[in-house]
Amino acid sequence: MNAALWLAGDALLPSRIQMAFTLATHVLLVPLGVAFPALTLVMEGIGLFRKDPVALKIARRWSVVMAVQFAVGAVTGTILSFEFGILWPRLMGRFGPALGLGFAIEGLAFFLEAIFIGIYLYGWRRLSPRTHFLLGLTLPPVGVLGAASVLSANAFMNTPGGITLQAGRVVDVNPAAALFPAALGYEFWHFIIAIYMTAGFAVASVYAVAWLRGRRDHYQRLAFAVPFTIAAALTPVQLVIGDLSARALVEDQPAKFAAIEVTWTTRDHNPEVIGGFIDNAGQVHLGIALPSLDSLLVGYSPNAVVRGLSGFAANTRPTAVEASIAHLAFDAMVGLGSAGALLAAWYFLTLLRRRRLPESTWFYRLAALAGVGCYLAVEVGWVTTEVGRQPWIVYGLMRVSDAVTNAPGAYVWTMLATLVVVYALIAYFFVTLLMRLGARWRDEDAPEEGAPYGPRPQRFAPDA
Amino acid sequence: MPELLAFVLLLAITAYSTAGGVDFGAGIWDLLAGTSPRGREARALIDHSMAPVWEVNNVWLVLSIVLCWTAFPPLFQAAFADLYPLFTLALIGLILRGAFFAFRHVADSPRAHRMSDLVFGISSVLTPFFFAASLGAIASGRVGHGVAQACLNPMALAFGLVSVAATAFSGASFLVGDARRYRAAEMVGYFQRRVIASGSVLIAVGTLALVVIGLEAPSLLRSMLLGAGLPFALVTVVVTPVVMWLVWRGLFRLYRVLTVAAVGSLVFAWAFAQSPYLLPGSLTIQQAIAPPGTRAVLLAVTVVLVLMIVPSMGLLYYLDQRSTLESP
Repeated sequence: MNAALWLAGDALLPSRIQMAFTLATHVLLVPLGVAFPALTLVMEGIGLFRKDPVALKIARRWSVVMAVQFAVGAVTGTILSFEFGILWPRLMGRFGPALGLGFAIEGLAFFLEAIFIGIYLYGWRRLSPRTHFLLGLTLPPVGVLGAASVLSANAFMNTPGGITLQAGRVVDVNPAAALFPAALGYEFWHFIIAIYMTAGFAVASVYAVAWLRGRRDHYQRLAFAVPFTIAAALTPVQLVIGDLSARALVEDQPAKFAAIEVTWTTRDHNPEVIGGFIDNAGQVHLGIALPSLDSLLVGYSPNAVVRGLSGFAANTRPTAVEASIAHLAFDAMVGLGSAGALLAAWYFLTLLRRRRLPESTWFYRLAALAGVGCYLAVEVGWVTTEVGRQPWIVYGLMRVSDAVTNAPGAYVWTMLATLVVVYALIAYFFVTLLMRLGARWRDEDAPEEGAPYGPRPQRFAPDA
Repeated sequence: MPELLAFVLLLAITAYSTAGGVDFGAGIWDLLAGTSPRGREARALIDHSMAPVWEVNNVWLVLSIVLCWTAFPPLFQAAFADLYPLFTLALIGLILRGAFFAFRHVADSPRAHRMSDLVFGISSVLTPFFFAASLGAIASGRVGHGVAQACLNPMALAFGLVSVAATAFSGASFLVGDARRYRAAEMVGYFQRRVIASGSVLIAVGTLALVVIGLEAPSLLRSMLLGAGLPFALVTVVVTPVVMWLVWRGLFRLYRVLTVAAVGSLVFAWAFAQSPYLLPGSLTIQQAIAPPGTRAVLLAVTVVLVLMIVPSMGLLYYLDQRSTLESP
């Protein structure tokens, strides 16, 4: 297909690409946005409890990064809220009374977060250390509340509930059931742990690089060990939660489960396929099949019957391409999670046996990669759940193609191109700013001023 | 209760128009400041007063959008189905503004700096213009008649222009306050003159807009001048010159509160004149409201918002004010 044909087409394809692009970008900002305050507070708590000025300095610097990151996340989040209207007006037009509830609570959380991040930054110099720390303690729960409410909306799209439909219109809403759909339980724990892991590994990776560059002082050790320990401790928990989530799909979203396992026919002794892809005829290529393992995992017996894609009508299940994408994304997520668990095991074994941090260069090389690995895992996790739900935007009730805007395809392609350029600019500014902060802070005594939401320099100097 | 939720939505839109308006207005003066030494000083002041809170006003915008799609889904669907070009332009302006405001603190070369000033300034004009234009399009009663009819109409243009004048006015008024706070005497005079200029423009453009409304939506004008919109229209008409007079005479008391009152009443005058219609002629509050279960949650969220936001915002404001009092 050539470009002219694409431009003449309808808005469905570019709308899906645009939503995927903007969501994939926003979700990169979520781990630090939600979980960084907790890490910072742990560090501040260590500083206060042990009277350690280095820990307090680290916490102050982290709070600056936290604010910059929050500001960028606020922009990309605002864009997403408009896209619900620009790209998917009929989704909210029909399901707004139920799907919107989570977002309303998220609006509240976002508001509180903006204010308390401001207070936290302003308060460093102007509140007593104790009051500052105590006010800061509002940030982690508010962040979790925000994430939980967005997850509630996503869970509604996966397992809708709590609504009465009449002629396509929502006539009655049971708020409790709409806010707590079946999928929320596992989506919540799986994602909250994922973002705490990601934040921990990502922050630690900065100091793993510092270690590799030869910095081995108290500052580096503290800034590495605190976030890494938290993330590493959560890794095994995540393996269990992830496993429970996948199992829950068997009941809640069977077509998605069939897609991520590329199972075509409903059968017992179903193999677990690792890698590979499925074609339109239901043939799996290039994958490694482990006999009966899928049946064993689902039903604890090789005789357990697993539903296949062919058991669903063609217009109610993911296409072969979508199923292959969800499958590969799922495998990548599991692979990355298992690699993280091995690294965590290495870390804790060294701590237990030698009573000190690891000193192996290879350990720090892997730790430096763990941050990126976690971000990748978060991305492919979202790909799994979103692509695996296709062709539905609200499972079983509304197709993506029925929610899309009437705008011409060319319009959405143009908007998408504009957004890609603007996002590239924002990413460039964001990275430049972080690198500058990093360079400035290699100097021990550099100040932490000059962040958005933070206190301004105390005097107004026209020549500055 | 449906009316109450419509009022909450109106409050969120008004908060964005007034608080966000001050920010956009500062951006407009940044664009107009030029490159003279005095212009550079003005720009530095603008930068200094905006730095800690840039984009925090997005909260009001997001709240408005979320309230709209949860409480009044048919309004949301109809408005976006016909007005998506206006919303897209406003949105792009909003992102560019935020990005380039940040970038000018990072820019190395003078050229990059000038370019980011320019993008920041232009997007500060375009964003409020297109947001208000979408309200004008709604007020015109042409949402539902197709994209071209709804977007390209004189009411959208009139609302957009009024909002640009109003944001410039509130920006100038608050910058007078910031100049006083930082004891930049020359800048006080600089922005005093701009309050008078933009206030006069606001009155002129506002009058023209009334003519346009009279021609395009006579029933809306009638209830603005004779119905529910009247008290608020009156407040705007009286308070705007009062602010200009106070600032001109150097009576620096209450002028910022009155600025907010003048701009807020403008939004109220439109909304009350249009009620009970969300889309004039086609969709009322009662027709669009979400089922009772949803309303109850939204009301609870509003109550919690007020209970938690007011004290915490007070604390933030107190800390901000204390910071400047502390300076040597």
